[in-house]
Amino acid sequence: MEWVGLVWAGTAIAYAILGTFRGHVVPMRFRNVIASVVVGLAIWSALFAFQRRMRSFDEEDDPAPMPADAGEKTEFSFARLRYKDAPTAGYRRGNWTIDYPKADRQFLQGVRRLTRIHTRSVEEVVDFEGDQIFDWPWLYAVEVGHWYLDDDDAKKLRDFLQRGGFLMVDDFHGTHEWQVFIAGIKKVFPDRPIVDIPDKDPAFHVLYDLDERFQVPGIQYFYTGRIYEYDGVDPEWKGIYDDKGRLMVAICHNMDLGDAWEHADHPRYPEKFSSLAYRVGINYIIYSMTH
Amino acid sequence: MFEFLFKYPASVFTKGTFVLLGQWPVWVLAVLAVGSAGLFGWIIYKRRTSVLPVFRGWRSVAIWGLQSALAALLLLLLWQPAISIASLKSQQNVVAVILDDSKSMAIREGDATRSAQALRVLDGGLLKGLQEKFQVRLYRVGDSLQRVEKIDTLTANAPATRLGDGLKQVMAEAASLPIGAVVLLSDGAENAGGIDLETISEIKRRRIPVHTVGFGREKFDRDIEVTDVVLPARALADSRLSAQVTLRQNGYSGKQARLTVKDGGKVLASRPVQLKGDGQQTEAIVFPAGLAGARVLQVSVDPLEGEENGANNAVTRLVNVEPRKPRILYVEGEPRWEFKFIRRAAEEDRTLEMVSMVRTTQNKIYRQGIGNPKELEQGFPATAEDLFQYDAIILGSVEAGYLTPSQQELVRDFVDRRGGGLLALGGRFALGDGSYAKTPVADVLPVVLPQSKSTFQRDQVPVVLTGPGRDSLLCRLLEDPAKNMERWTKMPKLANYQDAGTAKPGAVVLMEALVGTRHLPLLVTQNYGRGRAAVFATGGSWRWQMQQDVSDKTHEIFWQQLLRWLANETPGRMVSSTPKQVLADETRVPLRAEVRDKKYNPVTDARVEARIVGPGGVAASVELKPDPLNSGVYLGEWTADKTGSYLVEFVAKRGEEDLGHDVLTLRREDGVAENFHAEQNRDLLEKLASETGGKYWKPADVKKMSEEVSYSEAGITVRETKDLWDAPAFFLLALLLRSSEWLLRRKWGAV
Repeated sequence: MEWVGLVWAGTAIAYAILGTFRGHVVPMRFRNVIASVVVGLAIWSALFAFQRRMRSFDEEDDPAPMPADAGEKTEFSFARLRYKDAPTAGYRRGNWTIDYPKADRQFLQGVRRLTRIHTRSVEEVVDFEGDQIFDWPWLYAVEVGHWYLDDDDAKKLRDFLQRGGFLMVDDFHGTHEWQVFIAGIKKVFPDRPIVDIPDKDPAFHVLYDLDERFQVPGIQYFYTGRIYEYDGVDPEWKGIYDDKGRLMVAICHNMDLGDAWEHADHPRYPEKFSSLAYRVGINYIIYSMTH
Repeated sequence: MFEFLFKYPASVFTKGTFVLLGQWPVWVLAVLAVGSAGLFGWIIYKRRTSVLPVFRGWRSVAIWGLQSALAALLLLLLWQPAISIASLKSQQNVVAVILDDSKSMAIREGDATRSAQALRVLDGGLLKGLQEKFQVRLYRVGDSLQRVEKIDTLTANAPATRLGDGLKQVMAEAASLPIGAVVLLSDGAENAGGIDLETISEIKRRRIPVHTVGFGREKFDRDIEVTDVVLPARALADSRLSAQVTLRQNGYSGKQARLTVKDGGKVLASRPVQLKGDGQQTEAIVFPAGLAGARVLQVSVDPLEGEENGANNAVTRLVNVEPRKPRILYVEGEPRWEFKFIRRAAEEDRTLEMVSMVRTTQNKIYRQGIGNPKELEQGFPATAEDLFQYDAIILGSVEAGYLTPSQQELVRDFVDRRGGGLLALGGRFALGDGSYAKTPVADVLPVVLPQSKSTFQRDQVPVVLTGPGRDSLLCRLLEDPAKNMERWTKMPKLANYQDAGTAKPGAVVLMEALVGTRHLPLLVTQNYGRGRAAVFATGGSWRWQMQQDVSDKTHEIFWQQLLRWLANETPGRMVSSTPKQVLADETRVPLRAEVRDKKYNPVTDARVEARIVGPGGVAASVELKPDPLNSGVYLGEWTADKTGSYLVEFVAKRGEEDLGHDVLTLRREDGVAENFHAEQNRDLLEKLASETGGKYWKPADVKKMSEEVSYSEAGITVRETKDLWDAPAFFLLALLLRSSEWLLRRKWGAV
């Protein structure tokens, strides 16, 4: 969309040059009004384009400083899916923003340090508009117990996954949120089963051997001491596979890896949870880049 | 005209040497010529003030030049110029007259067949003229050379024309006979693919001129012919094959023909072909190789209305479809999308097996497709035995430093000696940015890598096919060439690109990345040693998969074709071959086998045997002998006595050690060779004559042939000198010089 700003800026400059130096058939009074509108639009468009490019949204849940190398062009970035909320969601900023952007950036630091993946230091927010989603084959969606996919969104997500994209969903708990998630994902794949990912699946071994997996709690653990939310007592490592047995959707139900990334630097958040969350996240990324 | 001006035919001047017969030395002639020019100059200079003003300046120089030239000419004639030439002694030499007696000579043109026209020429005075001066030996040539006593025994029924073999036989007779010249009456429709250099050299060594007389039209008015079909002798099961079909046509420009490939009665592929101007054109047709086994393929073009020769529209080719599954080793230096999507494309190809290792962290690799837990356990193979088990290697974004110097040399040897395929991809640790420029790997690559770094850019760029790319099977997404080109213009941009430098001489650039107005080589291929190498200077073709519809298979097709090209032709430790698998009216089968050890070094002490099974229970065994000129190569020969298909199994052993085996299929067909190239091949006849010092003649001009045949240095000769001083050309030249001077003087007003 950067071209919108460029077109407007070009138009404004051309108009100003024509009007100022060569005279114009439009009377001076109207000309000033038109020029002001055009220049205003150009500035607005340029700002819009810039924001689109950096994908910086003001709906941040947990602000984090923008790294100096945020504009670096890389092979990978943490692509966070911006979806519509279900009518029952009731969260002002949109549930897709939970933990954003600190969880993303803190996790990416780990990806940089622990792997050879060439990753950007900041996330990329993608939505179902246009074809931008297809440039980010690894996608993360948080709080999918509150998402809503209309038919167009579902078709695009289905295309994304069938072409070779990978979706990791996280941070939704209990029966009700599972049902909301199912309502959306069944629009994507009405007939494809959701199954437990076997322990021997390469997704749990591609870099780290993750035979010992346990429930990773969210920040509420600080206050309640509970590691689960609602009736989501047991962590579920589920997935949806394609016809060739490749994992397309990794479902982290009854756990909150996003919080574990976000609060990895918090002295009260146990290291073992963050450690597992990092290893799971990295394994899913490397799996998606190798399978 | 030439003969009128210079007294003798041009061949006398080309074969003879120029001499001066005068008694006085040549230097005297030179001194006198220069002296007379000086004298004229001095006189003109002395009289420059007394002559008319109109004669001063450049005009006096012109007069001086004309006078000096005339004086020089007259002096030259005083020295008696002549040509010294060798000529055959009368009745002491043999002239071999060879008549083409093949089936193509039975083609009727005008009121008579070509054979009848040749007999008419001989009877019309040529034979008599030759017999007056020489002893004449008559031969007929078809698939072999035979001596005949009378010319009326010709049948024009030989199944093939082997002019080269016939001439070779005549040269053998020249060792014991004073053969002074050869006269060949033929349409030049040679079926052995021309006359080999060895035969030409032998004729030149013996200085025997071959005079050729051409019969038949040089092209038919209305005909289309399949002149050649190029197909690999081997293919992998389920792969796609591209046949390069050469068509030659006259009289059908702008018309449409249909090209078809059949396996038995089953049509494998068929497509229309737009015929261009008269002459040759090459068309590609793609078809599936099918399951493993020997294929007898017929490539044909449907007969067109009014065609004069309908028997030259189809040729047979053999392809051995092998059940082998080549293994490709893909080494990737970092997790990236290109790796994933190349793997997925390879997984969908049943004919290939991809083994990969990707560096996930600084000290860990992740292996996929391995045959056993030990494979690649220690990383990139460190020995020739381990590396050479693969058929192709892909180097992804992995820096040169990851490989030891000996591993880098192994990669070069893998292509050069083992005959494998190497593909280098673009990436931030690849090509120039991976510091490959000064490594042995760079020798193999088809590009000269840039010395600079930062050649890898993560900007989206479109791709364009080059001319060779349009014709290449590697870039063929759709069979129809025009639709294929259009399809490429709609391909999504690459995610990134790399400046791979410049293509090496002999390399072929198939695809370019369009970076602004610059065209950077993107897909470049070349053959190197026994193998082949390619550079695909991007790590961003995965967008072709992610940015296109799920049902679109262009990404998979492109990669599968590239991977097959890389691995399909990688030879095993033993490779057998024969120049022609389809013997058209031939029986001789040269056999060749190349044997290598586990490190792919030539084996010189093997025992190589060819076991042949043919039609009607034919069974034979031929032991191949080492070729003294090529290490590791074994040669043999066998005769296919019956028409039909043959299976040849080659087995190589060293003591009890089994060194390998290979299988080859052959087919002998009779009665087909003379259907092809049936027009007069004037080029061949002219070239044969000019290479050997003879002359190409049209039938109407042969009356003077017996005179020219005399001028030969072969056989028993005498040296003659032929005076030139009385040639009309000199007289006319003298007249021209003198009259020019007079005309100039008159023009300038001095006469």
